[in-house]
Amino acid sequence: MKRYGSLIGAIVTMGIASLIPLFVRSPFYLDLLITIVVNAILAMTFLMMLRTGLVSLGVAAFWGVGAYASVVLVTKLHLSFWLSLPASALITALVALILSYPLIRSPGFTFAILTAVIGMLFTIAVGNTSYLGGYSGIADIPHPDPIRIPFLPPIAFVSPTQDFYLALFLLVVVVLICTAFYSAWTGKAWTAIGVNFRLAESLGVDVFRYKVIAFVLASGIDGLVGSFCAHYQSFVVPDSYGMFATIYIQVYAVLGGIGHPVLGPVIGSALMTFFPELMRTTRQVAPILTGLLLVLLIMFLPKGLLSLFDWRTAVVERLTKLRKATVSSLLLKNGARKR
Amino acid sequence: MILQVEELSKQFGGVMAVDGVSFHVDKSEILGIIGPNGAGKTTAINAISGFFPPSRGRVVFDGRDITGLRADQISKAGIGRNFQASVLFMPLAVIENVLIGYHKCYRTSAWKRLFRLPAALKEEETFRQESAELLDRMGLGRFTYELASNLPYGHQRILSICMALASDPKLLILDEPVTGMNESETQTMLQLIRRIRDDGIAIVMIEHNMDVVMNLCDRIVVLNYGRKIAEGHPKEIRANEEVIEAYLGKE
Repeated sequence: MKRYGSLIGAIVTMGIASLIPLFVRSPFYLDLLITIVVNAILAMTFLMMLRTGLVSLGVAAFWGVGAYASVVLVTKLHLSFWLSLPASALITALVALILSYPLIRSPGFTFAILTAVIGMLFTIAVGNTSYLGGYSGIADIPHPDPIRIPFLPPIAFVSPTQDFYLALFLLVVVVLICTAFYSAWTGKAWTAIGVNFRLAESLGVDVFRYKVIAFVLASGIDGLVGSFCAHYQSFVVPDSYGMFATIYIQVYAVLGGIGHPVLGPVIGSALMTFFPELMRTTRQVAPILTGLLLVLLIMFLPKGLLSLFDWRTAVVERLTKLRKATVSSLLLKNGARKR
Repeated sequence: MILQVEELSKQFGGVMAVDGVSFHVDKSEILGIIGPNGAGKTTAINAISGFFPPSRGRVVFDGRDITGLRADQISKAGIGRNFQASVLFMPLAVIENVLIGYHKCYRTSAWKRLFRLPAALKEEETFRQESAELLDRMGLGRFTYELASNLPYGHQRILSICMALASDPKLLILDEPVTGMNESETQTMLQLIRRIRDDGIAIVMIEHNMDVVMNLCDRIVVLNYGRKIAEGHPKEIRANEEVIEAYLGKE
């Protein structure tokens, strides 16, 4: 039962989240919520790679690969969105698998630089391919086709509410995938590699293989979200998948807490998306305040917001230790007296 | 004979760190490797356990040529090792450290494990119990859920051996198991190492503490400047002039 605790928690949270559109009807806020979900998922994939010690500066590029793959599949090959969504995830995963051999063999710093280069190349390559619309991108991408279930009215994706439910569904799928991998032996192997890969290796963990698994899985998820984003926004522009996007993704990931690979990104992304919006009345200074918030958080909570809770447990642990030490020293004194 | 090392050499640039060293380890034997600092002891065991391939030579383990395999493959073949000083997964709980040693023991299929089906959960529970028992046997029972970084030094060294043992090795390589320990910790460690040997696991150990080496080891190999200068029972080694010279210098 305990093992499924996090699963039940996730289901309850999602249940509550699915009620949101009943209260939030403004398309503007629904759009914000969808942005939060997308950013949270992207940040999760960044953390998944980081677990194994891979600092990927190319998350946005794989997100873009998924988006463009889906656009091509739907607008040029006339596939249904529901086919192209998993297909673009698979295509992105395949691209990652092909790239993984040279990338993951290279040491940590080189990996970071190489992924950054891939990120920049992606924008340039797509920007100069007229088939993909060049720098001006592709507009008028169709929304997801309606889902037709027999005997029921078709579910059409016409308002942000339906898009929000789709985003939520993707979040559920991604969270389930992430928790499955984190709680199984793969998660243990990832953590072991991230903490000390030499030691992990000596205990029989195939370091290369588990890094590839993390990299390919994370990229596949990026592709999945990319496909959704393209059809939700109904346009793609190469610049939105550039370096800046990657940097923001890292901020969401680190802000929530590196130690919480699923919940952290959601918190970080929610904060970073809502905070600038709350500051909207002071539009000119909003970015400055956001930056200030970021600096403060990094100064005082370097392990992320959720480390507040860890910190509390650390205090409790320290207190327990102190109590134990006091008790044992008292006992020793008594013992000495008896003797 | 469980391990046979033939003409093992390792060159770093122009330096011959290990130069044509041959030795063997019998079943249920404790073999000591000693030598002055820089003699190539750690390099030799790193080459055997796969952290870098040897430049020349052959390593045969349990009838199988394992020369040049990767560290994880060699671990799977049945050689466990620990590291000098405290190399542990410090931010993890003690039991989690040991559980990673079970990495290659999973038998259920990957899908069962990812979907957390009962068979996979049961398997994991078995590993958890076995880890707890192993920790109990090695005297770390009360630290099971403590963070590895919170353990005292001596216990950290024992934990590192527990982790290697969890991977069910036939041969255990220990790099300076008692260095830096106080007298009582050393005695505990000696007992543990003997007990591991009595369980049928062969042991190769590098150690600087001569009392321990002379007490514990069945045979000793002496290295100096990357070459083997002597091999034999502790008594023979103690009387060997070349060994004395290597340690004390020429008159």
